[in-house]
Amino acid sequence: MSERGWAVARLDEIQGPRARQGYDWRPVRRHFGIRSFGVNANVAREPGDVLVDEHHETGGDGGQEELYVVLRGRARFTVGGEDVELGAGSFLFVRDPAVQRAATALEPDTAVLAVGGRPGEAFVPSSWEHGRYAVELSERGDNEGAVRVMEHALEERPEHAGNLYNLACFESLAGRRDDALDHLGRSIELDASFRGYARDDDDFAPLRDDAEFQALVAT
Amino acid sequence: MTKPYEVLSLDELDRIPVTEGLEWRPLRRRLGIRAFGTNAYTSERVGGLVVEEHVEGSGHEELYLVVSGRARFTLDGEELDAPAGTIVFLPEHDVKRKAVSEEEGTTVLAVGGWPDKPFEPSQWEWYFESYAHEPERAIEILEDGLRQLGERAWLLYHLACHEALAGRRDDAREHLRRAIELDPRAAERARDDEDLAGIEP
Repeated sequence: MSERGWAVARLDEIQGPRARQGYDWRPVRRHFGIRSFGVNANVAREPGDVLVDEHHETGGDGGQEELYVVLRGRARFTVGGEDVELGAGSFLFVRDPAVQRAATALEPDTAVLAVGGRPGEAFVPSSWEHGRYAVELSERGDNEGAVRVMEHALEERPEHAGNLYNLACFESLAGRRDDALDHLGRSIELDASFRGYARDDDDFAPLRDDAEFQALVAT
Repeated sequence: MTKPYEVLSLDELDRIPVTEGLEWRPLRRRLGIRAFGTNAYTSERVGGLVVEEHVEGSGHEELYLVVSGRARFTLDGEELDAPAGTIVFLPEHDVKRKAVSEEEGTTVLAVGGWPDKPFEPSQWEWYFESYAHEPERAIEILEDGLRQLGERAWLLYHLACHEALAGRRDDAREHLRRAIELDPRAAERARDDEDLAGIEP
C-alpha cells in the first residue's frame, strides 16, 4: 500500500498462482491487503473452461455469503443443481453456504468477481488463499517457503484443521519430520477426516515408512 | 421462505437519483446481503458523478470497481483515469474521494466493510431510498430501517422529516427529539432543514 492511503490496479494486472483447473486467478484481496471482506476474480480463457470450482461454503472456512459478479463474457453457473446462464453485468448471490455452486465459461476471456463474508462476524481471510500460494512455492521446490505461508495462515486461524494439515504436508516435504507429525496429529484430533486424506496423500511419502506416521493414520 | 440464491442483472436494479447525474443502484438491500456493504452507482451522462465526494465517515475500507464505461477519480486531490476493469482500494477512511463519468452509462461497484468488526448496514441506505418516494412510503422505508438496525439517530431524523411533510407533526417532533438525544448534530442540521420548518423538538 502506498503512503497515499489508496491503491489502484487493473484487474488483469493482478497476478496469482494459476489454479489447477485452468482459469487465471486474480487475488484481489491479497493484492490490496483488504481486511474487511473477501474478494477475488477468476478469468477463464476459453469457452468450456472452469470459471468457479465446484464448492460450497461450509467447512473450516465456512459460513460465507458469496456474491458473484460477471464482469465480461458469459458463464453457466450451476447452483444447487440448477443451471443459470449469466452475461456481463449480472449478479449471483448465494446466501446459503451449504449450496453447491460451480461455473463454466461460455465465451473466451470470461471474468467473474467473487465477494464474500460471514454475517455477524469480523472478516478473516480464507485459508485456501494461503494454500494456493503455498502449493505454488512447493511446486517450485521451495517447501520451506510453503511452510512459512502456512504458518502465517495458522496465525490468522489458529487451530484450523485444514491449515494444520497443509502445514504438515509442506513440513513433510521439507524433511521436518517432527513438526509434520505434530501438526498432522493435531489436525486429525480436530477433524478425523484428515486421517484418511493423509493415508493417500503423496505429500506424506517421506513419512510413509515411519512407525509414528503409520500409527497416526491407522484406522 | 428465503431462496438459497438469487440472480439479477444490473439493468434490473432500481435507479435512485442522488445528485449531479449520480444514480444509486441499491444492490445490498435488494439481495439482502448481510456480510459486507455493496452498491452500484451509474451516471448516464458524461461529467455526472459516479462516486459522490465524501470521506468514509463510517470508517469502512472501500473498494471501487469500474464495471462499465470510464471514470475519473479524484483522491485527496490526485486525479486518476479509471477505464472499465480498474479497481481502486481505499483502506483509509479519511481519503476524500469522488469519481466522475467519462463515458455515458458508466457504472462503479462499491464494496465496503470494517476490518476487525462485523458488518452492519449503513443508515444512509434507508434514508437515501426514502427520498425517492412520497412521505407515507418513505415513512415505511425508514420504519423498516429502524426495525432492522435498531434506534439510529439519522433514521429517526429523516423519519421526522417525512412525518413533518405528511402532516404528522407530533410524531415528527418526538422522533426529532430522540434523534437529537442520540446525536446532538441533528439539532444543528434541523435548524436549516425546510422539511422540519416549525417542528420544535
